Amino acid sequence: MTEKLSRRDFLKVVGAGAATAAVLTGCGPASRYVTREPYTKMPEYNYNGQSTYFATTCRECAAGCGLVVRTMQGRAIKTEGNPYNPVNLGKTCARGQATLQGLYNPDRVKNPLRNSRGESNPAGERDWTEMSWDAAIGVVAEALKAPAGVQFLLGLAPDHLFDLVSDLCKSLGAPAPIRYGALSMFEARVTLGEAARAVFGRPDTLFFDLANADLVISFGANFLETWISPVAFTRGYARMRKQRARGILIQLEPRLSQTAAKADLWYPIKPGSEGLVAAALGKLYAEEKLGVAPVAFEGVDVTAAAEAAGLEVEALEKLTALLLDADRPLVLPGGAALAHENGLETAKAILALNVLLGNPGKPGGVYHTPVSPLGEEYRRPASLKEMADLVERMNAGQIKTLLVHGVNPVFELPKALGFEAALAKVPTVISFATFPDETAMAAHYIFPDHHGLESWGYQRVTDGTGQSMLSGAQPVVAPFYNTKSTVDVLLAAANLPFKDEVEYLQNQVAALVEQSGGFYSAPDLPSFWALFQQFGGWWKNDPGLGVPGVAGVLEKKLNLKTGEKSASYDEFDLLVYPSPILAEAGANKPWLQETPDPMTTVMWNSWIEINPKTAKKLGLHNDDVVRVVSPYGAVEVSVYEYPAIRPDAVAIPFGQGHTAYGRYAQQRGVNPADLFGPRFNAAGDLAFADVKVRIEKTGKKRELSRLESKLGVYGEGMEEH
Amino acid sequence: MAISASALPHAHAESHAHHDHEAELRREHLMLDPKPRGEMNAMVMESMTTTSWKFWVVAGILALIVAVALFGAWGYMISEGLYLSGKNRPGYWSLFLVHTVFWVGISHAGTFVSALLRVFKVEFRRPFTRAAELMTTFALAQAGIQIFAHMGRVWLAYWMFPIPNQRQLWVNFQSPLMWDFLAINTYLLASTMYLFLPLIPDLAMARDRSTGWRKSVYRILALGFRGTEAEWTHLRIALNIFAFAILPVMFSVHTIVSWDFAVAMRPGWSSTIFGPYFVIGALQSGVAAVGMVVIVIRYTMKHMDYFIRKEHFDAIGKLMLVISMGWAYFFFNDYMIQWYGGDSFTDALLHFHEAGPGGWIWFMMLITNVAIPWLVLWNRAWRRNPVILFSVGLLINVGMWAERYIIVPVSLQINRMPFLWGQDFRPGIEVPIFIGTVAFFILLYMLASRFLPLVPVWEVQEGQMAHSIRKYGKEPVVTVAELE
Amino acid sequence: MAILPKIPEYKAEWAEGEEGRWGIAIDMDLCTGCQACVAACSMENNVPFVGEHDAGYGRQMAWIRVERLWEGEYPEVRATPFQPVMCQQCGAAPCEAVCPVFATVHSQAEQINLQVYNRCVGTRYCANNCPYVARVFNWADYSNYPEPLANQFNPDVTVRRRGVMEKCTFCIQRIHKATDQAKAEGREVRDGEVQPACAQACPAEAIVFGRLDDPESRVSKLSKDKRSVKLLEDLGTQPRVTYLKGGYHGNLG
Repeated sequence: MTEKLSRRDFLKVVGAGAATAAVLTGCGPASRYVTREPYTKMPEYNYNGQSTYFATTCRECAAGCGLVVRTMQGRAIKTEGNPYNPVNLGKTCARGQATLQGLYNPDRVKNPLRNSRGESNPAGERDWTEMSWDAAIGVVAEALKAPAGVQFLLGLAPDHLFDLVSDLCKSLGAPAPIRYGALSMFEARVTLGEAARAVFGRPDTLFFDLANADLVISFGANFLETWISPVAFTRGYARMRKQRARGILIQLEPRLSQTAAKADLWYPIKPGSEGLVAAALGKLYAEEKLGVAPVAFEGVDVTAAAEAAGLEVEALEKLTALLLDADRPLVLPGGAALAHENGLETAKAILALNVLLGNPGKPGGVYHTPVSPLGEEYRRPASLKEMADLVERMNAGQIKTLLVHGVNPVFELPKALGFEAALAKVPTVISFATFPDETAMAAHYIFPDHHGLESWGYQRVTDGTGQSMLSGAQPVVAPFYNTKSTVDVLLAAANLPFKDEVEYLQNQVAALVEQSGGFYSAPDLPSFWALFQQFGGWWKNDPGLGVPGVAGVLEKKLNLKTGEKSASYDEFDLLVYPSPILAEAGANKPWLQETPDPMTTVMWNSWIEINPKTAKKLGLHNDDVVRVVSPYGAVEVSVYEYPAIRPDAVAIPFGQGHTAYGRYAQQRGVNPADLFGPRFNAAGDLAFADVKVRIEKTGKKRELSRLESKLGVYGEGMEEH
Repeated sequence: MAISASALPHAHAESHAHHDHEAELRREHLMLDPKPRGEMNAMVMESMTTTSWKFWVVAGILALIVAVALFGAWGYMISEGLYLSGKNRPGYWSLFLVHTVFWVGISHAGTFVSALLRVFKVEFRRPFTRAAELMTTFALAQAGIQIFAHMGRVWLAYWMFPIPNQRQLWVNFQSPLMWDFLAINTYLLASTMYLFLPLIPDLAMARDRSTGWRKSVYRILALGFRGTEAEWTHLRIALNIFAFAILPVMFSVHTIVSWDFAVAMRPGWSSTIFGPYFVIGALQSGVAAVGMVVIVIRYTMKHMDYFIRKEHFDAIGKLMLVISMGWAYFFFNDYMIQWYGGDSFTDALLHFHEAGPGGWIWFMMLITNVAIPWLVLWNRAWRRNPVILFSVGLLINVGMWAERYIIVPVSLQINRMPFLWGQDFRPGIEVPIFIGTVAFFILLYMLASRFLPLVPVWEVQEGQMAHSIRKYGKEPVVTVAELE
Repeated sequence: MAILPKIPEYKAEWAEGEEGRWGIAIDMDLCTGCQACVAACSMENNVPFVGEHDAGYGRQMAWIRVERLWEGEYPEVRATPFQPVMCQQCGAAPCEAVCPVFATVHSQAEQINLQVYNRCVGTRYCANNCPYVARVFNWADYSNYPEPLANQFNPDVTVRRRGVMEKCTFCIQRIHKATDQAKAEGREVRDGEVQPACAQACPAEAIVFGRLDDPESRVSKLSKDKRSVKLLEDLGTQPRVTYLKGGYHGNLG
């Protein structure tokens, strides 16, 4: 190029070029469908290796939902529901999802531990030193040598450990193991079982066919939260709603629970009046339908019942009309309704109402639960009366060695029962806890069991599904710490003729190989065992529900009393409900702590629900700390002005208030069980719903973390026009 | 040379004797009170070089504040995350954006005073155009710091530059933030050049009157300006072009800043009047800030009592009053249009402005932006009182800060999801960072006052040449010659 | 007879993909508010927890939230039906236009909003402009879990660091795997073959996910149900999430 470009021309060309480029790029097509890739490929768009999936059982509660855990490179990544498991059919609740945060919890017990301060300081400070598993087995073996003083305290789940311990205790001549869990207390399962014995002649937790009912009247049964088998009941609820004629749900309870929030009608009845209301409904229904009320209901004064419940008589008449209209009505006995001193009669009245409605053995009605594949004993958890007896025996020095597994009684039992103090009277307390919970901290030894996702096992599933089933568990990852299966410890300590846990399990399930009607069948035990792991258990294809006997039920007179009336305004009914998210053992999982409570959206803490009108009367506002005083104890907790609770009642969720149990749980919130007193109903369950409390101001304020906006939801912070 | 009667005030002198009247006029108006050029140049040089120990004490304290409160806190926040600031959901934006808008607003007055008043040949501007222009540049620097502090990942801020690159990234010209980024950069560039151009003759003057390192630096900066006729002609042409060209930039930049809000789909933000409303708001805070700066200069620097007189306080006070009226109009307009729209979320927001927890800020904004200027600045004596004028300027800036506070964090609390309306808003590390930028602004200004002639000497001299007092009969009349 | 001016019909700018490719239908009658979706989503997508203070200060990171409001006064008080709200994957997304660096873009293949974490510079404009308040910001390095909690992180999903925006992705990692699998087998993705974590966990099956461009899919049919509504539809955002209303007093009037 010979021609020289002048500077001026050069600048012109550059300027024009820059302007053109700017125009073309700036005004070009928008970003919309331009293929834009990240700087580096994000893992979302890549293949990062192969996943392996293992079927097992969820151990977060005793419902026995099946899980399929996705693992990759030896790490558990995600839990999903096992789509084959008849309890949950591939679905899970929030607790099941968060189970991995238990597995990888930073505060697990990592080694077998011994309190090195020995027995000189049994109830005081603990000083933990590591020990070997051989030594640990030696400690257990030594304890088993004096079987009369050995007491096992196990969790709610009827699992293989329970079977082993039952057999072991029987053969050694030790007292039978005790199963307990806070949820059985809140659901008053023993009362329900005893009522079933009285009404149907067989003790049972019963199977309520929610899915096929077209009208459900629930006396505080929080079946969408924690009641018996919540995932199964949620599925049942969805099916009930999706029927051609949408099923109706009516909830009668003093506080609008999460379940009541889904109800078509909610009646805030006075706690303790549930049995009267059920009987009154029975009387009205029978009079309308048959012309005369049966013996069971004839003594009820409908007006008095309505008054006791704080309802209009018209409300009862409306419910009766709905019952008369319904084809398949169902009445559910909730836990809190039975946790009164008249609880057993209440349960009987509700079951009798079901009988009157023709429910037993009908679709949308009440059945006996199916017989477990491994035997048909009714293995109910301990009632609180039995726990109180245990405490008495501990205090009397009858128990030399207490072995605790799968339950945290120091936290889960009401303080008034004195369990913690009684622990000090037991010479040797051995905890098999995975987490350093309160009971483990008060024990002399901690021999940590594997986390549920690291361990073998099976669990009888008696509720939730109508099928006879055994849910299987297998380790999805290798044990993360130096933990050992409690079954292995016991096998070694008691010198039982099984090589290890797996051999014991295979021996137990061997009987199923022969059984017909199963989900699968196999010619021999190894094949059966492989399928048992593959599908996460074994179950029969057809429902195995029993039809309750109803002879003469309605001819027995019910002895219903009106609940005590408390007229004074400084006494409130205390409603304690298990937190739907945390329940009894979720508090150490940080994501469960951060999952908002469905009704209040509060995270990471406890609160007391007070009706805004009551709060105004007491001069209380949101986040004010109040002292809640019952005759048996007191707690300090922040106020949540809850618009849907009876003005004469307050509610506190159960699940927080740990003093141990890891960094995410401890020193957080309060344990409302501290307010319960040792008062029992006729079936031996705790009458915790009878507790009355006083509210005292403290002048302190502690802000609750809530997801919802106080401004947007309640208009708080905005002055009225 | 055209001769015209000036708009300068003279009516008030009626009752005085005529010779008193003339002396009064000369005392009042800088333009009518000429000094020999050499003396004036020496005065300006002296004002730059006379520095007391107090100056360095104040500068040292400010530097410490800048180091700790601005860069220290900011660095800590970069390494820790924005949780140190008071932001949350739904208050995703908050004080950093408030302060960005605040500083961009302050920066407006510089160009307004020097370019708009230059274009309209408003004579009282002459001694303080430089002070205003410096303010523009330094305030924009603070705005930049604030907007960088606002970013979640400031170390990637260069991704906002439209440079084709190996990352295959390109910027989104649809985004108002991109417009904003470009507009502020353009404005910074243009205002810096507009600051520099009229500096050249003064730098040349300083070069000729200084020694040592100052001389060598001034020599480079003065670009060899000798004061020939051709150089003056070129300078005048360039200044004219720039004065006209920068005006649309000035009006557009704050309009574009307002689009950050107005373009968004939010109740309270999606308002078509936001452009002019933001511009008048910027002038409101900027002119008030000019008044404050001019008063500080007048009373802290040597010889400045000659250059800056009560007539300038008076004029700035009047400007503030007029702009405050304009602001009140646009505020009313914005409020009324949103209220009339009848959207339920907007209604809730308007109610929240007054009745929410920040309601007192809303009322304070109206008082300091409207009530106080209107009550105070009508009075000539009060306008001319530096303490009162300074206080009003400060209050207006507080009020304008409050206005931006209401537009950004307070309005963000109300969205279309009442479940997630604002919980609360607690300022965090934004407070020290803001204090840091204020200190940085003052520090830059102080350091510049030691080095750059804060008074454009040649413009003052030019003005004095053009002004004269003529007598028609016994009446002294101020005349101005048009210099072209 | 007066001649009235013909008012042009409003047309959204983005006509293409009117229906979208992937969508969710949520039956509010079935949703029990149990929060299983919240937990499932957080576990699948490595959503970190933030602790009590930050959670209460509006910094909770969950990509899906279950809303409920209140109506009336005791004793006639009612909680409104639970409503899970996540990113609605708008067809004309307000967030996309305002990002200065294209960190949130519409993907051609899935027709959903991508959030490109490593391009985000953290201006948070997208979050301001989202009418559903569906976006969450990493105010700190919340994913710095104490050991060994980080073992549960899903390797298929980016662990986000401080300063970037994030939101529901419809579990794009799962969509990718399913579409790749289908492509390898030379077929379309079957209805129900891929589910995001929320739909997979939902015990009431209130959340249904699937192809909107397949008229036979469950989600398409539910989206055209007479109970279906879309959230803030009048804004013209073309949300891909449909809510089926109903919930209480449905039968009782």
